[in-house]
Amino acid sequence: MTGFDFSNYNRNAALQAKGAPGPKATSTGTTIVGCIFDNGVVIAADTRATSGPIVADKNCEKLHYIAPKIWCAGAGTAADTEFTTALISSNIELHSLSTGRPPRVITCMTMLKQHLFRYQGHIGAYLVVAGVDPTGTGLYTVHAHGSTDKLPYVTMGSGSLAAMSVFESTWRPNLNKEDAIALTSEAIKAGIFNDLGSGSNVDVCVIEKEKPTQLLRNYLRPNERGQKERDYRFAKGTTAYLNEKVFTKEDLRKYVTVEEISGDPNLMEVDS
Amino acid sequence: MVGHGLTGMLGEDGIHVDMNHLKSGEVNLGTSIMAINFKDGVILGADSRTTTGAYIANRVTDKLTQVHDTIWCCRSGSAADTQAVADIVSYHLNMYAIVNNEAPSTQVAASLFQELCYENKDMLSAGIIIAGYDPRHGGQVYSIPLGGSLHKQPYSIGGSGSTYIYGYCDANWRENMTEEEGIQFVRGALREAIKWDGSSGGVIRLVVLTAKGAQRHLYLPDTDYTAPGRTQ
Amino acid sequence: MTSIGTGYDLSNSVFSPDGRNFQVEYAVKAVENGGTAVGIRCRDGVVLAVEKIITSKLLKPGANKRISTVDRHIGVVSAGLAPDGRHFVSRARDEASSWRGVYKGPIPVSALANRLGSYVQAYTLYSSVRPFGVTSIIGGWDSEAELAVDGQVGSGPKSGSGGKVDKAKSGGPGLYMIEPSGLYWGYYGAATGKGRQAAKAELEKLDLASKKISLLEAVKEAARIIYVAHEDNKDKDFELEMSWISSLDGPTGGRHEEVPKELLEEAERAAKRELEGDDEDEEDGAKGSERMEE
Repeated sequence: MTGFDFSNYNRNAALQAKGAPGPKATSTGTTIVGCIFDNGVVIAADTRATSGPIVADKNCEKLHYIAPKIWCAGAGTAADTEFTTALISSNIELHSLSTGRPPRVITCMTMLKQHLFRYQGHIGAYLVVAGVDPTGTGLYTVHAHGSTDKLPYVTMGSGSLAAMSVFESTWRPNLNKEDAIALTSEAIKAGIFNDLGSGSNVDVCVIEKEKPTQLLRNYLRPNERGQKERDYRFAKGTTAYLNEKVFTKEDLRKYVTVEEISGDPNLMEVDS
Repeated sequence: MVGHGLTGMLGEDGIHVDMNHLKSGEVNLGTSIMAINFKDGVILGADSRTTTGAYIANRVTDKLTQVHDTIWCCRSGSAADTQAVADIVSYHLNMYAIVNNEAPSTQVAASLFQELCYENKDMLSAGIIIAGYDPRHGGQVYSIPLGGSLHKQPYSIGGSGSTYIYGYCDANWRENMTEEEGIQFVRGALREAIKWDGSSGGVIRLVVLTAKGAQRHLYLPDTDYTAPGRTQ
Repeated sequence: MTSIGTGYDLSNSVFSPDGRNFQVEYAVKAVENGGTAVGIRCRDGVVLAVEKIITSKLLKPGANKRISTVDRHIGVVSAGLAPDGRHFVSRARDEASSWRGVYKGPIPVSALANRLGSYVQAYTLYSSVRPFGVTSIIGGWDSEAELAVDGQVGSGPKSGSGGKVDKAKSGGPGLYMIEPSGLYWGYYGAATGKGRQAAKAELEKLDLASKKISLLEAVKEAARIIYVAHEDNKDKDFELEMSWISSLDGPTGGRHEEVPKELLEEAERAAKRELEGDDEDEEDGAKGSERMEE
């Protein structure tokens, strides 16, 4: 059988009808940003994944590969950003192979928006698409419902307000690479420190004309866990005891069957 | 089955359906848009604010979208819906030009927009104004409000900000204005719409469509929308 | 047709080694046996005419029309297998209607010809179908008026649209002929069917390209040409059927209609008179030569 399997959906619907709460998707309450500079574009993201009030992953990757010189930062439902970018990456590669040309950022953006529009917002992917191609530098936002914007600097996710405040106050035209990296990582830090949904580290991806793309994983680690001041482990003998009884292997045979393993006990048994 | 959350209400004067609702988190063009006929063609105008709830997602949006050489549209409502509709119409107009070896008329563009907006009215929140110029028919302005009807008008205003400028436009409108007078009219009206409507703002973008082609204008709030004026 | 019997003539979608599709060529043979049909395109309209061979005395005169209206402004006449012609017309009506559905206005004659050309061509590609046994003439008038979008409300500025260019080309007559291969061209004058050679010779004499001829004259000429073309087929009785489409200020107001009975009969009388005149001339000529010999 091909196509979607709705058995889990039906199970959840039945459970919900009996009053059980439905399962929640992991949402990347996120800060993602992008900014163009004189020779390319840089995107950045925080690394916190949340599930309701719980931090589900302290160091997840929100920068997704589309093509060697096109990358995507994702916010929204983690599974949706992951699978949507993977699907478009695959289609972009096939497209590139069939045309014999490097893929364009606007092609990627169009494929994403048409895919997301078809699903009317039910695929909760909020993306920043960035890259360089033979036509120049591209930087776009794509919202889950399928709308897109083209801007010199962009922010998305729950931390987008904090990040945008950094851009709006310090951005200026014709940035160089170093300034752009500094500005985007500063914007992510604003999200990490001021938005509950964002946290942990800063990932950065620099895409430059005529240079290999750099993925700077954990470019900043502003939340390193330091050495604890005290040790909470208890010393041996802390707990007093009144008596002692030692069980040997032979004693155990009375209750269960004990089998000796021949040969190297470290070797795992493999099904023949 | 996932519902669209469409709410209907039976009142004394008929059934009321809220078609202007937005799905949660949807990007909205709470907008001021307009297009007018003038002596040599048409002028389109729009503010540049895009919102998600109370947040301005884009303060320099371009809501004036080209769908063919001298056929443009102003978009209001859901950004996703209007972008999708404009993309589809743009595709069909390009195909029309190739198959028929002739540029499509503004009527053809208006028909395609109407077909999409009417047939999918229960899934779309899109209020679109179409304005185009061709030598045979001159400049024409069509409006397609929410239900998908098609109105040919001397001038058309749309979006949330338009409610504030019905009086202004009615008082100041004249047929056969010159280009300068037309620009003045659109700019003045949009300035008022931006002033009174919280969902409108940013810069004023204009497109002047005549036999000479399309000419863009940009006016900034810094100078109360008087400069820098002509671009490109 | 040296390759006949080699097997390459049995199926569509199979070329003969010298690059021919015999099924299409046989379809053309079917057309060549059909009653003559002509179309004349002139500055203020288009005339369609057909020679309808009377196959039985039991057929009601004036019934069983061979010219069809496809849309208000377009007519089609075909020569060849009549049922194929009717299927072709049915498709033409679907295309015209589908155009109205999408573009909310009348289909241009050129666009209809294009779509029908593609349709006919598709019947030369597959072994499961045979090509159309008709050559069809499509005549129509693209409105020179500014057309509203069907269903629109309002009409724009009272003073009219701004920036209109008066000289801009708009509307006019259209005449196309589609062959069984799907090939089609636009024509000043088109002829097909049994008497096409004679008809074409007559059409060429009219110098239609110079646009001197009027619609009313074209009606007379079309009738005459059908009568001339019938000369080689005199043993069979025939009925003349004619339709026309004029400009908006002409007699049909841009619509495809039958030529009125009185005008048709007048044109027929003129055609007969001219043919008899020709005969008399010939007889006179013969007598004259005799006289000169004397």
